[in-house]
Amino acid sequence: MTDFGVETVHLDLPPLAAALSRRLHDAGVPMTPERPADFARALTLVRPVSRRRLYWTARSVFVSDQAHAPAFDRVFFSVFGRTSSDDAVAHDERRTEGAPPDERPAVDGAAAGATLGSASPRAGGSGDEDAAEVEVPLAMASDEERLAGKRFDALDPHELAQLYRLMTRLEVATPLRRTRRHERARHGRRTDLRRTLRASLRTGGEPMRLARRRRRVVPRRLVMLCDISGSMEPYARAYLQFLTSAAGSGRHVEAFVFATRLTRLTRALAGRHPERAIQRAAAAAPDWSSGTRIGTALKRFNDRHGRRGMARGAVVVILSDGWERGDPALVGREMERLARLAHRIVWVNPRVSANAFTVQAGGMVAALPHCDALVSGHSFDALAEVAAAIGGAATPAIAAPAVTAAEPEPWASATPVPGSSVAMPSGHGPSRGNTTPGWVTDD
Amino acid sequence: MNPPEGTGQAGGEVRRVVPDVETLARRLADVDYLVDEGLATSLFLSLRLPQPLLLEGEAGVGKTEAAKALAAVLDTPLIRLQCYEGIDAAEALYEWNYPRQLLSIKLAEAGGETLSEEALFGPDYLIRRPLLRALEHPGPRPAVLLIDEIDRADDDFEAFLLELLAEATVTIPELGTIVATHPPIIVLTSNRTRDLHDAVKRRCLYHWIDYPSAPREVEIVRRRVKGASETLAVQVADAVSRMRDSDVQKPPGIAEAIDWLAALSLLGVETLDAAAVGRTLGSVLKYDEDQEVIRAAGLEQLVLKR
Repeated sequence: MTDFGVETVHLDLPPLAAALSRRLHDAGVPMTPERPADFARALTLVRPVSRRRLYWTARSVFVSDQAHAPAFDRVFFSVFGRTSSDDAVAHDERRTEGAPPDERPAVDGAAAGATLGSASPRAGGSGDEDAAEVEVPLAMASDEERLAGKRFDALDPHELAQLYRLMTRLEVATPLRRTRRHERARHGRRTDLRRTLRASLRTGGEPMRLARRRRRVVPRRLVMLCDISGSMEPYARAYLQFLTSAAGSGRHVEAFVFATRLTRLTRALAGRHPERAIQRAAAAAPDWSSGTRIGTALKRFNDRHGRRGMARGAVVVILSDGWERGDPALVGREMERLARLAHRIVWVNPRVSANAFTVQAGGMVAALPHCDALVSGHSFDALAEVAAAIGGAATPAIAAPAVTAAEPEPWASATPVPGSSVAMPSGHGPSRGNTTPGWVTDD
Repeated sequence: MNPPEGTGQAGGEVRRVVPDVETLARRLADVDYLVDEGLATSLFLSLRLPQPLLLEGEAGVGKTEAAKALAAVLDTPLIRLQCYEGIDAAEALYEWNYPRQLLSIKLAEAGGETLSEEALFGPDYLIRRPLLRALEHPGPRPAVLLIDEIDRADDDFEAFLLELLAEATVTIPELGTIVATHPPIIVLTSNRTRDLHDAVKRRCLYHWIDYPSAPREVEIVRRRVKGASETLAVQVADAVSRMRDSDVQKPPGIAEAIDWLAALSLLGVETLDAAAVGRTLGSVLKYDEDQEVIRAAGLEQLVLKR
């Protein structure tokens, strides 16, 4: 082996840059055609006297988001080797990870140990779900009506797939918010000097008619937080479809799922193919059907996203049954924080529809004082009520929490077995047993 | 070999001031801005490629200061555009001076002349906002343009910036395309209240500014608070680092550490103890809940020797 340390600068740069960028792309770092060229140019400016210098040069050019830094590090160190000082660098990085803006399955897949150069780790998923959807017969009105009234937990996989079509018809519109931007308007409150002046040139400098403008209004941001823990499993698939159809409806929608951790799905849900979006989302969240930590998830949302501005003035929708494994007091505290930031909080709890429903789940009791609306959303018809609540419609007052002896949690929460991994409940049909394969109940 | 960087006089001037990464780091230290190798490399590339640099990081880690320090090193004006929701071209780029235009029309009328539209929408009646000022900066070195907290602006504004970021030109309908004589050094900062558009990111270099290591933080706060004792600075850096590790909503940044040290020195505190922390906690933690968390854990925990 020749010592090539000093020869590096004489390497043929373009192939090196191209090869590195290809590997980065395979590892899930977004790549554009300009980047390899930029990198080659950067290297002519910065003499890579040390690996450290080379590292920072490559990172400045190739990484455009802190969330991609770990994937970048893996590729870089696998190509150029790693020294103990590099470890120190990597360690420093971890001290303050930023708000992970989009945990794209591509990166997660690579983290799961996919080797470089192997098949793309992107969550392609199995194609059989697509195949299942093709078979939707020409829906008859009566069929749809029946479907619309059926509880989500009573739907079979085929009906779930049909349901998505119905959901796309649901109009989820948030209340409007006035921005600081102006638009021209015939009866606006303010004068549009620019246009007035323009027009006055035609009349010899005499402003004959005042052009007007007004503040533009835009829909408020919609933030949806969906519980995907074990007790919500019968509804999770349907709600994920609801999230997808809402996320596809506009650019002011953010979607998260949580059980034991919080996963942002906004990026995963974007795209033109809802079925694939749902698969991507399912692959992105590692904690399907595990225990619930609503308080921790809310805290994480508030700290990472809400406080920075995502929840400010937004309509926040929480889809959860309120069964909390952690401390309900934390739920109350975080809901209070969220209520101070958000314009409106709508809590969707499928158990509200049950006969003689009283609020008993610990998390729900704690959260209730801070909710603007509590709706059931247990079937498609009930989702219309959710849409109305999002739009700001008044909902019937909720019975004050009658705290009685704690009723047993219908689905015992599960604790993850170390090393096991559960992706999405397989197929469309969520299993309805007390346990989910891969998880053991703790009791 | 002639690197394909900013050509002409301005590029040469920048090359003379900042020949390599080490020199840039040294010059930044001369203006009391301490950088690690990562940030130094990014800033260097941004100056020399030249390409806009997008800086992200927690609040108060010195994103804005980086641009100020660059301007000081290059000895050029810093032109700052603070973004906010609803900012538009009229506030960022240019606006016509309507009162003056109206007055001119009236004057021309009184004098029996007619004023052409070209004259009325000419440079004389143009109010130059920060972006235009940065493009028209006469040199000899390019101005530093700081587009601060771009995540506060709405996404329409990002689209509007693309031309500027990629080509260093802007288009004004009445005047045509304005090409920068000395393309400005552009630094964008974001607090990540929302994701920036990929198109913006693609045109920029990127660097995430991390909290500094403890020794570096001591050096930074001592440079900023003249006359503070080293013991106190070490204790402050240590306590702040513990706060960052604890369960607070808003971890204190370097800016808060500097404020805190300044407050402590002003009060004549020699060494940090629980009582001194209690009196001045408001200058480092700005949320009541955060103060409660720290108080509950015990203020004396913050000043323990490591």
